[in-house]
Amino acid sequence: MNLRLPTRREALAILAVAALPHPAHAVGLRVATVDWSVLETLLALGIAPAAAPELLQFREVAVEPAVPPSVTDLGLRGTVNFELLLLSRPELIYSSSFYVSSEPRLTRIAPVERFSIYAPGRPPYEPAAAMMRSIGARLGRSDEAERYIAEAEAEFAALRERLTPHAQRPVIPINLGDARHFRVFGADSMFGEVLKRLGLANAWSDDTSYSAMAPVGLEALARVPDAWIALIPPVPPGALETLSASAFWNTLPNLREGRLLQLASINPYGGLPAARRFARLLAEALLAKGPAHG
Amino acid sequence: MAIPSRPGRHPGLWLIATLAAATLLAAVMTMRPPVPASAELARQLDHILLWHSLVPRSVTALICGAALGLAGLLLQRVLRNPIADASTLGVVSGAQLALTIATAFAPAAIVFSREGVALAGAFLAVALVLGLSWRRGLEPLTVVLSGMVVSLLAAALSATVILAKGDYVLSLFIWGAGSLHQQSWDAVLALGPRLLLCWLAAALLLRPLALLGLDDGIARNLGLALHAARFAVLAVAIWLAASVTAEVGVIGFVGLAAPALAREFGARTPRRLLLAAPAVGALLLSITDSAVQLLGSGFNDLAPTGAATALLGGPLLLWLMRRVPPAPPAQAVDAMTPTHRIGRPLPALAGLAAAVAIVALLGLVLGRGPQGWGIAMDGLFAELLPFRGPRLVAAGVAGALLGAAGCLMQRLTANPLAGPEVLGVSAGGGVGLTLALALLPFSPFSMLLGIAGGSLAVLLVMLVLAGRPGIGSQRLLLAGIAMGALCMALVSTALAKGDLRAYVLLTWLSGSTNRAGEIEVWVGLAACLLLIAPLFLATRWLDLMPLGEAASRSLGLSVAGSRLILAAFAALATAVASLLVGPLSLIGLIAPHLARLGGFARARDQLVASLLIGCGLLILADWLARLVAFPYQVPTGLFAALIGGPYLIWLLNRKGSRHG
Repeated sequence: MNLRLPTRREALAILAVAALPHPAHAVGLRVATVDWSVLETLLALGIAPAAAPELLQFREVAVEPAVPPSVTDLGLRGTVNFELLLLSRPELIYSSSFYVSSEPRLTRIAPVERFSIYAPGRPPYEPAAAMMRSIGARLGRSDEAERYIAEAEAEFAALRERLTPHAQRPVIPINLGDARHFRVFGADSMFGEVLKRLGLANAWSDDTSYSAMAPVGLEALARVPDAWIALIPPVPPGALETLSASAFWNTLPNLREGRLLQLASINPYGGLPAARRFARLLAEALLAKGPAHG
Repeated sequence: MAIPSRPGRHPGLWLIATLAAATLLAAVMTMRPPVPASAELARQLDHILLWHSLVPRSVTALICGAALGLAGLLLQRVLRNPIADASTLGVVSGAQLALTIATAFAPAAIVFSREGVALAGAFLAVALVLGLSWRRGLEPLTVVLSGMVVSLLAAALSATVILAKGDYVLSLFIWGAGSLHQQSWDAVLALGPRLLLCWLAAALLLRPLALLGLDDGIARNLGLALHAARFAVLAVAIWLAASVTAEVGVIGFVGLAAPALAREFGARTPRRLLLAAPAVGALLLSITDSAVQLLGSGFNDLAPTGAATALLGGPLLLWLMRRVPPAPPAQAVDAMTPTHRIGRPLPALAGLAAAVAIVALLGLVLGRGPQGWGIAMDGLFAELLPFRGPRLVAAGVAGALLGAAGCLMQRLTANPLAGPEVLGVSAGGGVGLTLALALLPFSPFSMLLGIAGGSLAVLLVMLVLAGRPGIGSQRLLLAGIAMGALCMALVSTALAKGDLRAYVLLTWLSGSTNRAGEIEVWVGLAACLLLIAPLFLATRWLDLMPLGEAASRSLGLSVAGSRLILAAFAALATAVASLLVGPLSLIGLIAPHLARLGGFARARDQLVASLLIGCGLLILADWLARLVAFPYQVPTGLFAALIGGPYLIWLLNRKGSRHG
């Protein structure tokens, strides 16, 4: 057998490829997905799927991991463009329980594997980790998957350590619905799961039947005067302006004592990468507020 | 709250209602949940909760109720229409659409003036509604039907914007469900003076108001500048209703119920009503709002107040139907006669069928891919067929079903604005889907079950009503509108929850054929066969019905029985179609119209023509929806409404087609 060393150009190409997220067919399987949490997970494992849905919005809402330009945009998540998915020639399609009604169409294109991270009454973190393991095993990235999960745990542990001084106060993760209402994320949401891992209490102790509860009147914030309010975008236009003039809002101890954390955009129904993003952004915001007072 | 000094015939009723409102209010105040904090902080927080949230909320409820009651009274008076209201006239959906568009594309406009945006939308919508019904002399049912058409169109547009802009949807849903939560006196300060001002204006317009209740000719002879007075009253009412809508969101039916209940309470003269209607409105909304607070847990209402009032209001509208004067039959017949008749309908129908075939072929081969436009041949065609085929069939079948159902409805009611979308059956499917999503494990089968179950339930109610003696076709139509509005209010409550299930609902609402597969195709084809073929045995009924009840009966038609059967067919066809393309497509309204306009006068010809036209239109809409924003797909049902709605409005306003 004739062995030869790669030329300089080939060597550079190999290095360049190694540094980029790999196209999935590099490990033998060309995958596509119709679900955002899978997309996050694939990208975190260094796999660029052939096609994924609603990338314009994904780049705005989920922000990270960055989506390489090679990924084909399949259109809205509710109405995935099957023709385009077919022409992307995937060999495996990852779906989620949310798109179960599209499955008969998807199986015509390629074999479908379905994950169910967000189900009523079940916390999503473990299913998300299991999904990452499963994808890793299927696509020959088991090591990367284990490493990522371990990194996530380590990151949570490190942040937990740094946040110890803040641990007396609970956090309430909310979306503003408008200037009068919010949507709150409970213990069974990804945000709730992350709070638990950071050693912080979720100030919202009521049940949320399916990750979140809305619309809750803003006056419910008076019930959690101690809590940090973690405000997750999108913030409706004009809502904060209206609130800053509101006597009620300004009388809340949380606001008077500066316990409003305005975070950058996070996908509330994401996978492990979204969970890590939330942990990091929350910790940064808390630590930026200086040492705990209270 | 303003209780009239002389409370009419039923002082007892007034007393009971006021006592009930006061008791509930006291219960809300005293049973407010405790604040978990140290004593000093708790006292402070309790204070702001009481004075910046609970009390302003109660006052807001009273003011909004009074304002809506007054607006309803004025609208009903000026349009001489017992079922006129901000929600039935399109004020609410117009405001909603304007706010949605501004939120998505021009947030600066919202920050600048939320109310201005809502008001502009409301005035546009009402202008459209009145324009649509102008030529039928603002006849009550036509006004309400036009309001329904405009509302559906606005809802379709809003849903499209929401789907396209993903963000901010929660705020729009909350607003759409009409929640009264308050944390300041802003709403009170904004609406209170306005209510007072409008009430004074209405009091000054008392004489014109009294005269407006009379015949136009008499009113003019008594020296009333008819148009000026009408527009002044209309403007006051719309301003009031739109202000409330902008400030707190959609609160349906109070404007409808308050004047009616005020009459039941004994107020008869305009002067009495001017006091009683706002008072009843205030009591009604206050009681509802206290109830949802008390029945909820902690700070969470059981349901948004606006949705709860719809639950009360829907049945009330059914009850109010008795008061709607029947439309003059001569006018109705006139409107059903085409401008010209086709001499030989068969070749024309064959031509129509050929056109549908060409559109279908186009839809199968022409498309866009990663490399741009292309005609799919041979191998690629075979590959794409399993995807293009089912959705094309689903769209076509739904179009045919809607066309047939629309044709039935329009002949049944002798009203060219009737359509399956206003029958309430598809909206009932939405309630079924909501329940299925909440109670059953998530699967395509449970979704199907929910939609079919909901549609059938509404259908049964409609049939019971239709079978009752003395309920004319016009009233049947009204019952449909009431059911539809009621069901949509329930759906908005589910949308306001803002979780993943809300997203499934929104997708259904938008009517996407995207995931149509074998099941949908076979269900659709079977429905076509079973529901449309038998109709050709009933063409004599359809020929006779628009002539009116008396004429039909004298020609030997058993009116009640045949009406029941035809209504059942129309409702079933609508239910299947809403499963395939959602509830908002407007095709059932447009297709029979076009058929009539094309000169197909006899029932058989019009039926065939409208189902062919419906079929072709939805196939075309489906094809375009796939292509215009590639790779993003516009949902077919919405797209059909968006191209069909404006055309319909133009059609109804064309100078040439003047009948009435």
